[in-house]
Amino acid sequence: MEKDLKVIGKPIPKHDAYIRVTGKAIYGHDIVLPGMLFGAILRTEYPSAEFTIDVSETKKLPGVVYVITADDVDTNNISFKRDHPILKKGEVNCLRDEIAAVAAETKEIAQQALKLIRVKYKVRKGIYGSYEALKETAPRINKFISGKYPNKNIAETFHYEHGNLEEEKKKSDVILKRRFTLPRVTHCCLATSNITAHYNKTDKTLLLYSSTQVPFLYQRDIAHALKMNPSDIRIIQPVIGGGFGSKLDMYPFEPICALLSMKTGRPVQIIYSREEEFIASPTRQPMIIDLTAGVDKKGNFTFREINIVKDNGAYTSWGATTPFVIMQAFSSLYKVRACKFDAAAVYTNNVFAGSFRGYGNPQATFALERMIDLLADELRMDKAEIRLLNANEKGEITGQGLYYETCGHKECLETVIAKSKYKKNKTNSSGSRYKKGIGFASMLHVGGGAKIYRSDGCGTTLKIDPYGYCTIITGSSEIGQGSETVLAMIASEELGIDLKKIKIINTDTDVKPWDVGVHASRTSFVAGNSLLGAIKILKEKLNKKAAELLKTIDSDFEYSDNKIISLKSNDSIALDKIVREMHFSEPNELAIASYFYEPSSKFQDKEYKGNVSGTYAFASQAIEVEVDTYTGNVKVLDVYVAQDVGKVLNPLLLDGQIHGGILQGMGYALTEELITKDGKILNPNFHNYKMPTASDIPDIHFFPVETNDKQGPYGAKGVGEAPLIPTAAAIANAVCNALGIEVVELPLTPEKVLKAIIEKSLVEK
Amino acid sequence: MSFEIINPSTTKELLSTVKKFQKKNFRFGAGCTDLLLELKKNPEEDLTIINLAQVKDVQLTGIKKNSTGLRIGARVTAHDIVVNEEIKKSYPVLHEAALNLASTQIRQVATVGGNICTGSPSGDIACALVALDADCEILGTTGKTRTIPITDFFTGVRKTVLKKNEVLYGIYIHAKKKNTKNIYSHFIKIGTRRSMECSVVSLAYHIQTDERKKIIHAGIAIGASAPTIRLTESACSFLTGKNLFKISEADKREFAEKILSYASPISDLRASAWYRKEVLFNISQSIFENLSADEK
Repeated sequence: MEKDLKVIGKPIPKHDAYIRVTGKAIYGHDIVLPGMLFGAILRTEYPSAEFTIDVSETKKLPGVVYVITADDVDTNNISFKRDHPILKKGEVNCLRDEIAAVAAETKEIAQQALKLIRVKYKVRKGIYGSYEALKETAPRINKFISGKYPNKNIAETFHYEHGNLEEEKKKSDVILKRRFTLPRVTHCCLATSNITAHYNKTDKTLLLYSSTQVPFLYQRDIAHALKMNPSDIRIIQPVIGGGFGSKLDMYPFEPICALLSMKTGRPVQIIYSREEEFIASPTRQPMIIDLTAGVDKKGNFTFREINIVKDNGAYTSWGATTPFVIMQAFSSLYKVRACKFDAAAVYTNNVFAGSFRGYGNPQATFALERMIDLLADELRMDKAEIRLLNANEKGEITGQGLYYETCGHKECLETVIAKSKYKKNKTNSSGSRYKKGIGFASMLHVGGGAKIYRSDGCGTTLKIDPYGYCTIITGSSEIGQGSETVLAMIASEELGIDLKKIKIINTDTDVKPWDVGVHASRTSFVAGNSLLGAIKILKEKLNKKAAELLKTIDSDFEYSDNKIISLKSNDSIALDKIVREMHFSEPNELAIASYFYEPSSKFQDKEYKGNVSGTYAFASQAIEVEVDTYTGNVKVLDVYVAQDVGKVLNPLLLDGQIHGGILQGMGYALTEELITKDGKILNPNFHNYKMPTASDIPDIHFFPVETNDKQGPYGAKGVGEAPLIPTAAAIANAVCNALGIEVVELPLTPEKVLKAIIEKSLVEK
Repeated sequence: MSFEIINPSTTKELLSTVKKFQKKNFRFGAGCTDLLLELKKNPEEDLTIINLAQVKDVQLTGIKKNSTGLRIGARVTAHDIVVNEEIKKSYPVLHEAALNLASTQIRQVATVGGNICTGSPSGDIACALVALDADCEILGTTGKTRTIPITDFFTGVRKTVLKKNEVLYGIYIHAKKKNTKNIYSHFIKIGTRRSMECSVVSLAYHIQTDERKKIIHAGIAIGASAPTIRLTESACSFLTGKNLFKISEADKREFAEKILSYASPISDLRASAWYRKEVLFNISQSIFENLSADEK
């Protein structure tokens, strides 16, 4: 029998909401240490050049404490492929390239110091297009890779296939091929990148205040970069003002700050300006996706053949592994009998790409869901019907080996079709200035972590103090997604302790147990299960003591109201009293328990097959838009979202994820793009980088679908990335529906839309 | 970015400060919403900002109606414009221009004078005032004022007729007719998002008809389409005398063509010249749609 939940499922405000909205939260920018210096980085003026550097004048400036260039440091290359020198020597390959750094007494002096550094550049032409980089004649852009691929500018490739492609092509009644182009967008974290480093020369240890979302991998990466022992590095995470995947990698500014502290023996802080944030923080991978897809005359999907070229930029981040997620969408979203997938990350002299919420999935879903509309058009089949026909089902094992123990795909689709009052073959009002349209899109994403590192686990240490307060020491990190709140709710639910009496410790690598980090929508699932494991162990200890104190052999207890109650006798004893008895009477033990949770997921084999996640999340969106045919402006009217969340843990936080995701997806669909020309970013500011504002928020109607996956805590699945993933695809489909045009490129700026409207009217004349 | 700031508290003090600083590098500031961004981008050496925000002078801060029109002090904020009932009723174009400016926060401090003096071709309030054929009242160091039509105020991108020692004191809108009936007055702002937006193209119009819908006055200005905001005189006179509700399709096109003849837009990050012209042509004709919405 399912027990009644008292805390889980309730709209509990975020644990840290109060300090955040009152300005009391301590971000990295607020940290001030005694004797702290201010660091600043000189970046190249040109994306591709050879250079010489002279810092002699800079060193003379009063207030400048230290200046470093590549010649002054002994470091290892960083990044996922170890193809990225922290400070560049002799040549630069993208606009972010760090060529010198200073530590000074004030921020102003640090900035002034940068201006005194003399750099002589021999500018090269550079390569800014992926296909150009793949040409035989192109020079090698990154000199630090082993060269395992025949083409010198390929950083990484992926190949996957299932089913008999040729056979399925023969069985197809319609085959379409399109090229989809996806832009370079960035996270726009409201807190700019920041780091404060404090090297202790006496014991040779390094303390970093960093907003990383993967502290343990980061600790190891910093250690590798600086040739240190990881355990001599302590990472403390201050309050983080936005992650969205941007803090999955370590970037040069972080070891640079540490180096400045090591050289000076004083704490050093580096904080990005907004312009620097736009130029020097990562982006989503720009991609060109060639997709060929088939369908039989009944509407069953037969095959998909995919070829992707991703602009890696000059160095390789974790983001290069996005095909790992992209191929899941192509192989396993909707039933498809055969799939062949190839992707290559290609070096260019553009700024390098990184990880971003959805991890390649928004790009894949855009191409796939646009293609489904095109196939439906060709078959003259209804766009809702074709999706329902091919939707994934419970118990399905996909061609790639993903096992859908639970699956809400069909229910999600049915929900948004019904709620949006979609009518088949409805014609649009013609002749009027404003045209309305509706578009559908679904998504599949890992919902129970993703086994890509040696462990996808998370550790928890749980203690109850003699006053009945509970401390959760969790390996997981809070980056704004609400993990602290969810963990406190779980502890409150299980231990019957008031939420106010629950504390979370999660910011210090010297204290917290190991966790792989915040990514893959995994935290509630993995950290939640880990906490439940620790609770189970702790309860065994508490039960034993309770039975002893209540003089019963019974062990059937309820935890409620800060008490343990015997279900048989109804006798109860306060939790704090039990803990005091445990501590202070023989055999004197602590009310403490530790647990390490490892999801049931498996590594995929060399062919990328296997059940990579503990569970899978599904979502569908139906989006209505209105297009102004005079201006090409697209107004998003209503967004209907149904998402298989497994189980709603906290409706308030879930709503926040949905709203934020949809807004981010809208920006991706309509307005956002880092505009580059020859490797330079032309709009490094919010004035011209058009992130949607509060006044652009459409009416969002959210319908959670609860499939109660037994793998998840209370049945929950990961929810963080999902809301963003299908949004751009659904908006693009809606715009095409409204205007009868074909869209294969994002963002759908007013200018592109107006051009398409005019081209269409010319063709019709 | 660093500068000195001086805060005169009376107009007299302001004038003596301007005199004193004649040979030095100074800028006027009030809301400073444009100025600070500009200085951040292009810092100036030894700069002093003469801050108008503390000057106590109702001529600078007040909105006053008289028998011939409406005077608006240069330091009136966009927010003050938005909440002013007289402006909302008699000059909807100005109300809408202010309402669509930036964001609620910015509107609390951004001033009418700032929007005009910054001389941007995409200034929204300035564009509405050009459509309303307003006059600019300029205060010199002697304490005397001179008045020029706003159409003569702008001389190029971010350039105006203001001399170094002159301050924009206020603007004056002449009521074309005594009654405020039969007004068709709107501000059309085109951008990619609904707030925090700088106009990609804008069209301000203030049209008045007689009881029989014959156009007795038309003021139409375009923004972000040329080096300065422009009053489209030939389009205005083309409309005068016609029945607003019975403009033929051919006349609508001719009207739009006339407006377009004032446009010489540039291509920049926000839009191409092609887009700006295309949209301007389309929205010019949209003036004649949904006219009944203004019938009250």
